[in-house]
Amino acid sequence: MNFTITRQNLHAGLAAVSASIPSKTTLPVLSNILFEARDDSVWMNGTDLDVAVRIKVPADVKEAGSLTAPGKKLQEITRELPDAPVEVATRGDQIELSCGRSRFKLNGLPADEFPTLPSISFDDAWTVKGKDLHSLIHHTSFAVSTEESRPILNGVLWELRDGAMRMVATNGHRLARMSIPAQSSDVPSADFIVPPAALQQVQRLFKDDDTLEVSRDGNHLGFRSGSAEIFTRLIEGTYPNYEQVIPKDNDKKAIVSKKLLESAVRRMAVVASDQTHRIRLTFEDGRVHLSVLTPDLGEGHDELELDYAGEALEIGFNANYLLEVLKYMPTEEVCIAFKAPERAATIEPVASGGDAMDLLCLVMPLRLLD
Amino acid sequence: MISKQVETGNFFILQSGRDSPASAVASNPSPPIRRILLVDCDAFYVQVARQVDPEGAGRAPLLIVGGSASGRGVVTSASYEARKHGVHSAMPTAHALRLCPQATVVPVPRDACVGKSREIREALVELAPAVQAASIDEFYLDLTGTERLFHREPLEATAHRIRTEVLQRTGISVSIGGATRRLLAKLATSRAKPAGVHVVPPGSEEAFMATLRLGEIPGVGPALLALLEARGVVTVRDALAVQPEWLRRWLGERRGDWLHGRIRGIDTSEVDPDEERKSISTERTFRSDIADDEELERRLLRMVGSVGTTLRKSGMKARTVTVKLRDPSFRTRQHSRTVPGVLESDAGIHAVARSLLAGLRAEDAGSVRLLGVGLSGLQEDAVEQLGLFGGTTEVESERDRTLSRVVDGIRARFGEDSVRPGRLMGERSPRTDEDDG
Repeated sequence: MNFTITRQNLHAGLAAVSASIPSKTTLPVLSNILFEARDDSVWMNGTDLDVAVRIKVPADVKEAGSLTAPGKKLQEITRELPDAPVEVATRGDQIELSCGRSRFKLNGLPADEFPTLPSISFDDAWTVKGKDLHSLIHHTSFAVSTEESRPILNGVLWELRDGAMRMVATNGHRLARMSIPAQSSDVPSADFIVPPAALQQVQRLFKDDDTLEVSRDGNHLGFRSGSAEIFTRLIEGTYPNYEQVIPKDNDKKAIVSKKLLESAVRRMAVVASDQTHRIRLTFEDGRVHLSVLTPDLGEGHDELELDYAGEALEIGFNANYLLEVLKYMPTEEVCIAFKAPERAATIEPVASGGDAMDLLCLVMPLRLLD
Repeated sequence: MISKQVETGNFFILQSGRDSPASAVASNPSPPIRRILLVDCDAFYVQVARQVDPEGAGRAPLLIVGGSASGRGVVTSASYEARKHGVHSAMPTAHALRLCPQATVVPVPRDACVGKSREIREALVELAPAVQAASIDEFYLDLTGTERLFHREPLEATAHRIRTEVLQRTGISVSIGGATRRLLAKLATSRAKPAGVHVVPPGSEEAFMATLRLGEIPGVGPALLALLEARGVVTVRDALAVQPEWLRRWLGERRGDWLHGRIRGIDTSEVDPDEERKSISTERTFRSDIADDEELERRLLRMVGSVGTTLRKSGMKARTVTVKLRDPSFRTRQHSRTVPGVLESDAGIHAVARSLLAGLRAEDAGSVRLLGVGLSGLQEDAVEQLGLFGGTTEVESERDRTLSRVVDGIRARFGEDSVRPGRLMGERSPRTDEDDG
């Protein structure tokens, strides 16, 4: 393999791929990036076996070929190189870099030791706008479970329907759901449960104005746009029936400034128990009392004015769940709706003007025993 | 330097019998000098084993308790005679037998030990106002305020009296350390052993500490020792001469301050008779090493049942599950996970424990010598996080909880082996095929 590439292109490619390389691994070849030089470009591949990233960068290829080489070291070297063309060549299992008067030789591993990436055909792909996908991921993926005991909740449910697409994530205690009208039509419906790590790469590598092709092959999902490709393993299983747990009859509604509520909850959280993070909210006509009482530590009280006209209601929450949900609310005001102290509360953005967003978050309360 | 500060009423007073600068400036001009004793049984398991089996273990001067004659398991305790050969607790019994081949090995008489421990505690409760069991064979007593009651009897005389009384009533010989603080009482006990009493008089705490090696102080481990040794600090005396600013700079603010207090014997912890249980755990050393994943999972399931029952009996719920593995080279690894809610059912605990075991096995699938399961983050009136899909946590449903309670009820009526998980059907009872080391 022998090619010449600009330092900027080499660095951009390495930076894009190396984020997919695991920092600790028992399989040494996974710390490496696979280079495949052919025609007028070089493909760089990195994977942690769950998610794979492939990036194509233009290069002047003198001799086609492939080799794997240590990703992080190459990235560090390239960052320090002068802005001049870099010649990359292989000698046996070594990769050689020359740029100006700098010369490097790094030990690599043969290309055939690198895991084979899933081959996914994009012939019958769905097309999705980068901006739509980013918005869905941003507003929902925070809610996935990090517990390993129920793997299905470790993924984000992505529903593709004719004319609409939706993402849902939950850890069983709080849930986020968002829908967006999809541009494309005439596509078969599909549901995927996608690991959040893959969605993070999607957010990182694709731009808002990119048009992405998305395709599935068996247990793998592929994303492609221009010179970047992402492949991920899908989580298998049936996602719980989330629609069933979203309350339709939450009739006690409070409209409150997101910023004021956030800072009041954050103040209460300081004194909340480290284990349960329990705070108490009492909604009354035109106001909400926030309070926290933690044995062995102390107590805190606060009050906010808000738009609430329902009957008085006292409800307990894990402050962290509440803060997380508020953080991803895109509007200045939010609407919190309840039915009863032991039923799910829903939180939705209150749109000012025409830019309504179909986003709904749900937080299960803590049972107040005293 | 310190005495000058006391005279001038400086804020930073350090005086014996007072635990912190803050207590020294409290409105009460002279808080009572605390009188703490640590009652520590001498080779407890050995003494109990001899009581249980006077003809066998009772006649063997070289006695090892724990493990088996074939060499599996670890030493739980060894007689003082056997200790002279280099045998100590937690050592593999096989190794102990190489050091002391003539020794008699007996299994741990668990039930007798629990009973004896309770007997000792009952005796102590009559002798001191506050008794806290620190372990099966260690008890802290707080005698603060008993001076008049005991007609100004010196603490040392009280300790001797308690020692004699415990020996007469339970047949167990104890050693007692006494001081103004728990930490010092504990350190004094090692001077008292075996069968003696050592009291650090009020005012001589620092002098006592200066006679110790740094490694003797609880909480000072090999890493900290190495760090201090690299800076020329080897003994407590060396460390006492180091300015607190330097300790902070070397160890960080928190650890530096901690060590500065620790080497002066400062310890504000109370003797708390009601101290809550902090964790529930069980571990087993197998008769022969196990490398088979399925077999390990079966053992895990059985141990989960055991800690789960204890958890529910104590009316607690747990937030954290820990699984521990030790391989034949004595390398110990453990993984823990805290769940968002609380756990109380075997099914819930098992789901978490199983994935922890899988994680440990993924790192290294070699042979396993010991397996342990622990529950911590125990709460009595746990705040319940309600779940979207039923149950209060993702891993445990209301059905799981009910099932565990029902099974506990059946076992209480018809015996431990009356109900078992399907995977454990057809197995022998745990005690017969495993080593208890």
